[in-house]
Amino acid sequence: MVLLICTASSVLTACDGVLNQDPRNELSEGIAISDARSAQAAVAGLYNQLQGGNYYGRNFLIMSDVSSDQGQSIGTWDFYREMDTYQNSTGNTEIGYFYSRAYRTIYVANTILNLAPGVSDLTETQRSTMLGEAYFVRALAYFDLLRTFGGYPDVVGTLGFAPASQDERGQVTNPARLPLMESYAMVEADLLQAENLLPRSADRSRASKAAAQALLSRLYLYTRDFASCIRYADLVIDDGNYALNPSYTDIFATKLSTESVFELSFNNADQSGVRNWYFPTPQGGRGDLACHNSFVEKAQADANDIRGTLYAVEPSQGVYYPTKYNKTGNIDNIHVIRIAEMYLNRAEAKARSESDLAGALADLNLIRSRAGVSQLALTDAAALTEAIWAEQQLEFAFEGHSFFDLVRTEKIVERVQNVPRLNSPTTISFTDIERALFPIPLFEMNANSNMVQNPAYQ
Amino acid sequence: MLFMKPKLTLLCFLLLFGQLARGQMKTITGIVVDGGDNSALSGVSVLIKGTTQGTKTGTDGKFQLQTNVANAVLVFKFLGYETKELSVDNQSQISVQLHATENLMEEVVITGYGGAQSRRTVTSAISQVKAEEIANIPASSSDQLLQGRASGVQVSSNSGTPGGGVSVRIRGTSSINASSEPLYIIDGIPMQSNNLSGLSIGGGITNPMADINPADIESMEVLKDASATAIYGARAANGVVLITTKRGANKKAVINIGAYMGGQEITKKPGVVDGPSFEMLMNEVAENAGNPAPYSNPASALNTDWASPILRTGQLRNVDLSISGGGEKVRYMISGNNFLQEGIMKNSDFSRTTTRVNLDFTPIDKLNMGTSILYSHNSRKRLRNDDNISGGLEGTFFYPPNHGIYNEDGSYFKIPTFENPLAAINETTIGMLTNRFLGTVFAEYEFIPNLKLKSNFSFDYSNVAESVYDNSKTNNGSAVGGVAQRLGTNNSNWIQENVLSYRFTAAGHNLNALIGTTFQQSRTDVATSTGQGFPSDAFQEIVAAAVLRSSSTSTSYGIASFFSRVDYNYQSKYLFTMNLRRDGSSRFGSENKWGTFPSVGLGWVLSEESFMQNLGFLSTVKLRGSYGVTGNQSGINDFQSLGLWGGGAYADLAGIAPTQLANPNLKWETTNQLDLGIEFGLFKDRMHIDIDYYNKHTKDLLLAVSIPRTTGFDQLVQNFGEMRNRGVELGINADVLGPSSALKWDLGFNIATNKNRILKLAAPFNVYNRDIYRYEEGGEMFSFYLHPQTGVNPQTGAIEFEDVNGDGEFDVNNDRRIVGSANPDFFGGITNSFKWKGFDLSAFLQYTYGNDQLNWNRFFQEHGGTRSTNFSTSQLDRWQQPGDITMIPRMTADNYASDIRPSRFLEDGSYMRLKNITVGYSLPASFAKKIGMSTARVYVSGQNVFTITNYTGLDPELTGTASNTLTQGIEFYSMPQPRTFMAGVNLNF
Repeated sequence: MVLLICTASSVLTACDGVLNQDPRNELSEGIAISDARSAQAAVAGLYNQLQGGNYYGRNFLIMSDVSSDQGQSIGTWDFYREMDTYQNSTGNTEIGYFYSRAYRTIYVANTILNLAPGVSDLTETQRSTMLGEAYFVRALAYFDLLRTFGGYPDVVGTLGFAPASQDERGQVTNPARLPLMESYAMVEADLLQAENLLPRSADRSRASKAAAQALLSRLYLYTRDFASCIRYADLVIDDGNYALNPSYTDIFATKLSTESVFELSFNNADQSGVRNWYFPTPQGGRGDLACHNSFVEKAQADANDIRGTLYAVEPSQGVYYPTKYNKTGNIDNIHVIRIAEMYLNRAEAKARSESDLAGALADLNLIRSRAGVSQLALTDAAALTEAIWAEQQLEFAFEGHSFFDLVRTEKIVERVQNVPRLNSPTTISFTDIERALFPIPLFEMNANSNMVQNPAYQ
Repeated sequence: MLFMKPKLTLLCFLLLFGQLARGQMKTITGIVVDGGDNSALSGVSVLIKGTTQGTKTGTDGKFQLQTNVANAVLVFKFLGYETKELSVDNQSQISVQLHATENLMEEVVITGYGGAQSRRTVTSAISQVKAEEIANIPASSSDQLLQGRASGVQVSSNSGTPGGGVSVRIRGTSSINASSEPLYIIDGIPMQSNNLSGLSIGGGITNPMADINPADIESMEVLKDASATAIYGARAANGVVLITTKRGANKKAVINIGAYMGGQEITKKPGVVDGPSFEMLMNEVAENAGNPAPYSNPASALNTDWASPILRTGQLRNVDLSISGGGEKVRYMISGNNFLQEGIMKNSDFSRTTTRVNLDFTPIDKLNMGTSILYSHNSRKRLRNDDNISGGLEGTFFYPPNHGIYNEDGSYFKIPTFENPLAAINETTIGMLTNRFLGTVFAEYEFIPNLKLKSNFSFDYSNVAESVYDNSKTNNGSAVGGVAQRLGTNNSNWIQENVLSYRFTAAGHNLNALIGTTFQQSRTDVATSTGQGFPSDAFQEIVAAAVLRSSSTSTSYGIASFFSRVDYNYQSKYLFTMNLRRDGSSRFGSENKWGTFPSVGLGWVLSEESFMQNLGFLSTVKLRGSYGVTGNQSGINDFQSLGLWGGGAYADLAGIAPTQLANPNLKWETTNQLDLGIEFGLFKDRMHIDIDYYNKHTKDLLLAVSIPRTTGFDQLVQNFGEMRNRGVELGINADVLGPSSALKWDLGFNIATNKNRILKLAAPFNVYNRDIYRYEEGGEMFSFYLHPQTGVNPQTGAIEFEDVNGDGEFDVNNDRRIVGSANPDFFGGITNSFKWKGFDLSAFLQYTYGNDQLNWNRFFQEHGGTRSTNFSTSQLDRWQQPGDITMIPRMTADNYASDIRPSRFLEDGSYMRLKNITVGYSLPASFAKKIGMSTARVYVSGQNVFTITNYTGLDPELTGTASNTLTQGIEFYSMPQPRTFMAGVNLNF
């Protein structure tokens, strides 16, 4: 009988106990973001999203550089080979990973925009900074989606991105893609909000007022609003927190130098993967990617160009790899916006609007002299524009700018002609401008009935 | 409760009978002994025929009975023994010998919560593997021993890695994202059987079943249909394996010593070309491309055999020691085991030391208590293998044979990407130490005769300590000055069970009913630390490293269950079983906290009917059928149903990141299974044939259903998909020559088919790198997705493919389809064992037919010159001149482009293997006695002695990607199963 009573009582208590388990590695949202400290952690999480290997931590840079004439895929992976040869499939995993990561980033930004106003122990400065950072990161993610999948005004594409609803976060809805210009306007609106909310700051590892202004300057080059581009480049250059690093190599050898307007921080616990994918095995990488030899020839054409020293040769296969990101342990920071871009943006805007050719030339020569190459003396607007575009390619090589800039400037067809590849007997050429847009991933086409595929992949 | 009413009625019957049975009393006493060794048999039921009067023998085999029946006939019944009837006449002192049954139908099988049950009255599909079948086989884990021995159970070793993973599929694979491995119950306790290794060192996994000493096992029963498994509810959909360990009996002590020693070696070396052939092929590649030949004199090329220096004949050693026996109050079985298996590659091994104490005691009348306690300590030396570019075996395939192992300065010669095989073996240390405690304490009290309450408490604890050290000479460690990792995993489970059972027998009605509860809680904690930058290669502990990192995780789940069963038969002729289980799990969503799993089984022993007598050689015919519902909850992560945020630091700032959306509807996968079986006993049941048809329909498959990424999430795990497994199983067991023959011949044969079909998916998807598996509706599991190669153009040597989409040209993106699967058409095993006088011989063949095996090594080695690494020997069959008919195209870059996945690498994986052959000799009993033993046997045996197959790789059974449950049948630089030869002794005192 005693046994029976013991049994009965143990049954009743055990039942309740074993079925109530609480997660410990992770927490439910309500507990996770509840006060100032946890809200700050959510903002750090926002940068963590940008940092991921599928975004600025590796993939997004490689997507651009392998798609241009700069990088090539020399491994056996399908995804980068497809980008390299302009045969992107809708099932390309890395394109899919980037797409997902960008929307995850937007989800976190929307969470902060929704919850930060209700966190009671935040100071007003903390709150507005936090909201500004969320607007900035959301703008960056939408902008990156836009130039990858949407289009470039007056170049290619008519549809922008499908917006994620801020108020119905995480609810399964089927949003349609917005018209292209409406999408650009949304990014601009977010950036103007961010500019307004964010303080000036010398913390280059986070969004600041100048970072928002710098991204606006870049955005206006895409929308060809050259006057606004110049105005915002001026604001950043005059901010005072940023200056060209006298040593080009020092930008990459050190971290968070004055050159950076916005630079993502990486360390041992939070590694960036660009180096790993380009560096050959004996150097501790996986060697699946390399430079196109033809591009390295361009980069090293001028023996004085200090930027040409940032390539090394892999003798067994006879290919080059970039050494900008070269830190053992893959702890290189990633440069999202450098002040050099503001000079070249301003130069391009001035040259293309033909408003101030002398100013454009001065900005261009500033960048050239820092690289150790001779000053140019161009007076023709078209030639000057061409020179600025060529400079952009060398200055930001393997920093994820190349493909987007080549498409934006409509130079892609001209630049990518008969480029030899290690892995194929034939050369590659870019012919169809619709291929400048990446395919909307198949999973999204399947999951969202309102999604429209880009023409090249229909 | 459900069964109260019939039970009450039966109780009334019992009382009524008691009232009627009165008269002149007479006392009969006697003793029942084993006809073989004359040892006392306790627990034998002694009944007076035609009445319910009866008793059971005591632990000394004696019984005492009072009766008023004149000319009483006593019926002696004991499970596993022939029933005997004896007329009392005027005797008052009776001694009876019972003979162990030779009748296969009277065999006893163990059922879930049901204890031993006669096979004759079982309504469900259960396969049994007994101790003697698996004794003295050098397998590190007991699940391997099921291979080929139980119909419908497909077992494959993922590799020949000592203590490595084994895949067990009972009636097919029934899940996509959840585990399809069966539930293992050892002595009634669900045991932790998931891979606890946290290291990422390739596709291989480790097998926790290796913690158990196979010599401790009395029997393993494989519960296959719903009638047998539904009592295990939400974890039973993949079938259940019941492992019963040996226990003591009321007998004098028996000491058992078993020992064997042997060696194991590789059956086949990597098929790569030698130095001269390598240079000759490379020259041809250059020629084909119009380039000058790189090698001037291939014939004189250096020829390095990369495989031999890393291979060896591994040692095999096992010692088992046990003592069992007991008295009326205490019975015991105590055993110790020491096992060592060295891998066929250097620096790999598995060693195990276990002790087991199984005690039963009867402190007071009506109370039985006992313990089953296992302590196991085992140690593995592991290697990077399978899909791992740093693996030693992988290196032997890739490294060019025309170069020495070392550079002139004595350093390792290295090519890009792949590790030098010798460096992989010698400069890396990977260890895994497991300490496991698996213990149960139980008490059983009999309130009134046949009404028992059994409670037990069990604890299953594993502590796993893992370490990896890559010194500065390895690719992993060279750039950072050595890198080390330590991982500590603690897994603890407690289980508490209570079962109230009642047994009733009267006038041909046999009822056995039970109700019970079980609660379980499991918790896993993992601590990881890594360090890099060591002062020298002599330092290996992380404390000396320059850069340190660490992390920890913790998770848990709980299960609460209620269950019941009724087994009823009338005259062992009409059989009925019903199970019902309610399972609650902390993993299920808040809207679906509890699941119900019922099953019904019916049986009819036709041969007991009067109209079915005189069937000639047909002695028994039994029909049975069952239908029921079981579940699989393994696919749900512990907190899958909740919306979660996890850590996501930004450099030095603590951060958080969303990790999953909530799904409060999340629940188990549900399998409805129909089983129809027929059993035949032939020639007085000397031969037993079992035929089963089953149809398992699994719905609510857990799938990560893709949702619009605009939500911020990729997917939501939902109960969405459907899958079906249908098949037929045939098992034959025969005592071919009969019990009277001096030559004894036992034959076992089984064969099974299973047809798997995916009925519903959210969307088709591809799996594994290079998308070599595809899952789609109407397809089956483990389908290979390749470019179907039709041949090689005899004129040009160009590779030719099927134009899958019919657009007139081949392109890599659109002309790819499913070309085969790893699922066999049929599989099984054949055992023949002979005994004659003191000699015994047994041979066990295991086979599978119709499965495809992807020789993925060829994809990398048949590279046609697109790589600078070595070629497989198959490359020698390349097209060379017009008229050549071959599947291996001309060696040009476009024929071997890295983006094509030619189907020629998919080979026929059918095989038949002599898994085990043993020849033994037992000393004559009289001689053994003289030297103080009761039995003494010596034997020699071989494992994997030969394999008949068309497969060209190292081993047709390999799965190099076991850590991914959606891949099977792929050789990917995995250590093949070794051939083993050994000799041993079994001694009994």
